[in-house]
Amino acid sequence: MSDQNAVIVENVSKKFRIYHERNQSIKQMVLRRSRGVYEEFWALKDVSLTIPVASSYGLIGENGSGKSTLLKCMAKILVPDEGSVVVNGSISALLELGAGFHPELSGRENVFLNGAILGISSKELNRKFDEIVAFSGIERFIDTPVKNYSSGMYVRLGFSIAINVSPDVLLVDEVLAVGDAEFQMRCADKFTELKGSGCTIVVVSHSMEMVQSLCDSAAWLEHGSLKMSGPADQVIRGYLDHVAHNREATAPAPAAPDPVAPIVPDTAVPAP
Amino acid sequence: MNKVASNTRAKDFAAARSLLINLTLRENRSKYKRSTLGWAWSMVNPLATMLIFTFVFLYVFGVDPPLGSPSGLKNFGFFLISGLLPWNFLSAGLTAATGSVVANAGLIKKVYFTRAVLPAASVLSWNTNLLIELGVLSVALIFVGQFVFVYLPAALVVIVLQMFFVLGIGLCLGALNVYFRDIEHFLQILLLLWFYATPIIYPTSLVFSNPRITGPLKTVYLLNPMVHFSEAYRDIFYNLRSPSPSTFFYMAVSALISMTFGLWVFRKLEAKFAEEL
Repeated sequence: MSDQNAVIVENVSKKFRIYHERNQSIKQMVLRRSRGVYEEFWALKDVSLTIPVASSYGLIGENGSGKSTLLKCMAKILVPDEGSVVVNGSISALLELGAGFHPELSGRENVFLNGAILGISSKELNRKFDEIVAFSGIERFIDTPVKNYSSGMYVRLGFSIAINVSPDVLLVDEVLAVGDAEFQMRCADKFTELKGSGCTIVVVSHSMEMVQSLCDSAAWLEHGSLKMSGPADQVIRGYLDHVAHNREATAPAPAAPDPVAPIVPDTAVPAP
Repeated sequence: MNKVASNTRAKDFAAARSLLINLTLRENRSKYKRSTLGWAWSMVNPLATMLIFTFVFLYVFGVDPPLGSPSGLKNFGFFLISGLLPWNFLSAGLTAATGSVVANAGLIKKVYFTRAVLPAASVLSWNTNLLIELGVLSVALIFVGQFVFVYLPAALVVIVLQMFFVLGIGLCLGALNVYFRDIEHFLQILLLLWFYATPIIYPTSLVFSNPRITGPLKTVYLLNPMVHFSEAYRDIFYNLRSPSPSTFFYMAVSALISMTFGLWVFRKLEAKFAEEL
């Protein structure tokens, strides 16, 4: 890539509708003259960040902070309402392993199907087939319908396919929490290997340990806004300090919040 | 607006083609899985329908089967099946395409790919059935001395045009079904009405010789694209003649309008699929 950056996120905002009452039939829509009662909720608000080529980047933050939404915008699954996301090169997203497996088809047939879904040509798949199966470690069961697989086997096969796409940008969302310890270690090795070969990795994780060991830089999101970005250890420290601080602030039953001078200006109370 | 780097466009297209082939294979492979008869079901269904209709119309109503010209065929079974097979393709293809986006919700929410391949794979999969069934019909026609193979190139054109016609509607309905699940149920009523508005169990001449069906009603009748598709299939597989140029013209225009409109609707709606599902 001639470009220095693998991912450029510019002023991205994404809103969702939270339906209180949803009209999913034409009758209801005509009667009520609307598609339902909803309020708008900004899952991402004016987020900008750049991720350099061949680096690894962690997205951290509490539940509902917009990490996964941002990752899905990068993966082109969601289209931002404002701003732009530019990804240079091919993308592979590990949001759910084995998404699109057909239970009645054999592992072999599903490798080709899932590979096609992830955008690998059949020629490339033919070449990599043995490698994929070897990495998953389920050679013996490759001609068995996947409905008979254990959940571990299912995930391992899904992971092997996704990892062998050889993408320019790999997006990972908390999928490493599955599989046994041995498989997790193999995954970590594979990530290091991919990084070495120039692949850019973006990881969403709650495991600070993993972000610390895997990522060069990180971004901390809170309530849809970018709170901090920079070298991974600094961002993680900032985030952990904030969490600790928050617990201190809330634990000893705080006095009635003072509207004039908030005690902690930074720790934003969730906007309704 | 979301900018897409232009170099990924070409790659996207190649990936979509390979995915379309694979998804069609998935549907084909899984369609009759775990049924003892397997792909024979593709033949059993139309044959059973043919037997039932033949019994009802020939023996109960005493209908005289129309004479195929120039083939000289006078057989209600052949007459019926030449209209029924393309109808079954439309009916099954549309039903599958309409449900295809919702049925693959898990995939849409987790992986990026060209969404239009989902309805396309459903339609192509049922198109495979049509090809097999027409192949068997052609062989059966040989056995009664009708050398239909001369017209197979013309048949291929008709099949491709009908495929695009069905795909256009399928794209539109598949996308709308994400927002209003009524579409699936509404479709079944539409198909029932459409079945009788199409010359399948009766010849077109019956409509035109009916004194109660006058000028404007005839025009409305002829606006149904399936009238022309059915006529074309019947010309090839019952009358054994090439469909008229005007029939080809109608079919091509229907296919073009359907695809243009279907793609337009699908493009408009696909960006929000992942949120709506």
